[in-house]
Amino acid sequence: MKRRSRSSSDVPRILISQQAAQRLAESISRRRFLAMSGGVAATAALAACGSDEKKSSATTSADTTAATSGSSTAESTAATTASTAASGNFDKKINMFTWAEYDDPDLLKSWGDISLTIFNSNEEAVQKLVQGGGSSGFDMVVPTGPYIPQLASADLLLELDKTKIPNFANLDAAYANQTWDPNNKYSVCKNWGTTGWIYDTTIVKTEIKTWSDFIAAAQGDASGQTSVLDTAPNLCGMYFWANGIDWTTEKKEDLDACEEFLVNEFAQHLSAFDSYPGINLTQGNYALSMVWNGDARQGLLGVEAAGDDPDQYKWGLGAPQTELWMDNWCILKEAKNVDASYDFINFILDPKNSITDLNFHGYNTGIKGVEELAGDVEFKDMIFFTEAQVATFKPGAVNSAQDRLVDIYSKVKAKAGG
Amino acid sequence: MTAAIGLPTGPPPKKFKLRAPKFALAVPAIVWYIFLFVIPVGLVIVNSFGSKLQGTPGKVDLSAPSLDRYREVVDGDFSDVLVQTMKTSLLGTLLCLLISLPIAYYLAFKTSSRAKVVVLALLMVPFFTNYLLRTLSWQIVLQPKGFVSNFLQDTHWFTFGQALRDTPIKILKTRTAVQIAIVYNYLPLMIFPLWVALDRVELHLREASKDLGAGRVATFVRVTLPLAMPGIVAGLVLVFVPLSGDYVTAELLGGVKGNMVGRAVADQYFRSQDAASGSAIAVSLIISILVILGVLAAVFWCVRRILAVNRRVTVVSI
Repeated sequence: MKRRSRSSSDVPRILISQQAAQRLAESISRRRFLAMSGGVAATAALAACGSDEKKSSATTSADTTAATSGSSTAESTAATTASTAASGNFDKKINMFTWAEYDDPDLLKSWGDISLTIFNSNEEAVQKLVQGGGSSGFDMVVPTGPYIPQLASADLLLELDKTKIPNFANLDAAYANQTWDPNNKYSVCKNWGTTGWIYDTTIVKTEIKTWSDFIAAAQGDASGQTSVLDTAPNLCGMYFWANGIDWTTEKKEDLDACEEFLVNEFAQHLSAFDSYPGINLTQGNYALSMVWNGDARQGLLGVEAAGDDPDQYKWGLGAPQTELWMDNWCILKEAKNVDASYDFINFILDPKNSITDLNFHGYNTGIKGVEELAGDVEFKDMIFFTEAQVATFKPGAVNSAQDRLVDIYSKVKAKAGG
Repeated sequence: MTAAIGLPTGPPPKKFKLRAPKFALAVPAIVWYIFLFVIPVGLVIVNSFGSKLQGTPGKVDLSAPSLDRYREVVDGDFSDVLVQTMKTSLLGTLLCLLISLPIAYYLAFKTSSRAKVVVLALLMVPFFTNYLLRTLSWQIVLQPKGFVSNFLQDTHWFTFGQALRDTPIKILKTRTAVQIAIVYNYLPLMIFPLWVALDRVELHLREASKDLGAGRVATFVRVTLPLAMPGIVAGLVLVFVPLSGDYVTAELLGGVKGNMVGRAVADQYFRSQDAASGSAIAVSLIISILVILGVLAAVFWCVRRILAVNRRVTVVSI
């Protein structure tokens, strides 16, 4: 305790009895002590949790954001025609790690209890699974083809026993036995799709026909209101497709040019990296978005449902070239519900269920005769493409350029926010 | 062992007594601290000197430790994100303080004890809702086709803003959105310490100030505020530190323009699969926070020092 007893005349003085003086001095120092220790404790505690709070929230919040789950009370009125996998008793329960708005919730409920956790990009999914080291708690994951070898080499995927999936025979042979997973050792095609754009015609006045037009519009009418897919290959792919470069290029000069352009001439026009601009089309956040065909279709359906005019928005398929991707059902080695997972894959490969799901997500499921089976589904031209169109679709690859693509993507992101 | 008064003195009972050392009570806290803070942060610091092991998802190559990742943070565009984050945090903290002060003052001095319970309960209610949901609700409020935007366009109250009437509000996916939501999210963290601090300022002292001739403003500035200063400082720290590391708000509302360091770190880890860069950014954030807190503390200390010279009171005993 400091007791200042200066007697200089400019300091105000209080004259009180000795007893009172002591009590006053004590009470002042006690209050200061309490207040100070409180402050210090709070500061220390926060300084401590500030940093790890950040990490834990990073790992938890994003992937639970859109987690929805089929109600556990749902009875399994599964309409599986083909006999389901042999083994008898198992809970119809799956923890699935997948993309957003990717399955009809009612269909999932009719099968059983599926809880969904969402990721935005393959890189993110792979990272989280690898980091979990086989204890992420998921039974199934839905990666895009070229990422399957990465997962398999990390020993995360279960080798599929095709005898437990009799409906595998319903899949068109064109979508089986892909280069990244010969003989469907680890995966079964869920559906495939492509990438294009959707724009608000009240803001973007010139028609967008090619990726070059897309870039021009992003730098022009839609500057500051443009979103691109939240994945590195798609961002860079846009540049490659626009410039007639193979988007699986590993050439340094191509990648350098791509970085140069995206960071210095494109980044500042972006509003967001958003893998699902379609679902939120009704919010009116963007004037121009790079979008997967099924998501764009869901967006237009949503606009219709909200009573707005879907003609305000225009969907276009990427040109002169664009992406061909295929997402696949995989069972994780760590899965607790292996039998249930097999049963579900078999269930979804039933043409009837497959079409129900297609109606929801708007992607070609690759079932034999799918186009005829789909009948008069809305915005059919956004699901099924002509042979001439399909010829312009190029599959991606995870190759030596992958790290560089991700690096470019990070730089664009940092630059765009600056 | 000393004999206390009133207790029988004599040899202690022969029964063997197991006595844990006093610090035993602190063991859970120490374990928590080591495993959940020291080790993870240590790993982050170690990783920040490595580099990404090419071709693998998220592995760090530590064979050639270097400061390259930090160089990238400083030279690259991440420094912009860092600066923007600090600006957002400081402004957010200041706004929180300005908004909280009247509320806390009202709570501490102008409400009856019964009303106080109600007001405090109302302040607590948002905490019953998930943080994520509270932030998501801003998406609904701020979206260009949301009810606020529609309302502003439909009503013609804002004669000054022709543009506002004709075009939807474009706040979502900008730094403004993040700023607004962040102030909203962290406001209670400021109000509570302020209220506690103000509440502890005894009425007698304020009365005495008035008796001695100080007006309302002088009493507030020269008595109430200095006495509440520790609470204000606690509130500032309580808001500033977690706000600087906020991730959710930027993720949900920020788009690319409203990026925050917390999200940049998450992006590096999960999207870019680059734990080394992510770690370097995280450490840079921690350093920035410490530097800013240090500067603020120094400024505070100087101000107090200067003020103290003019406010010195000598207690003289007779």
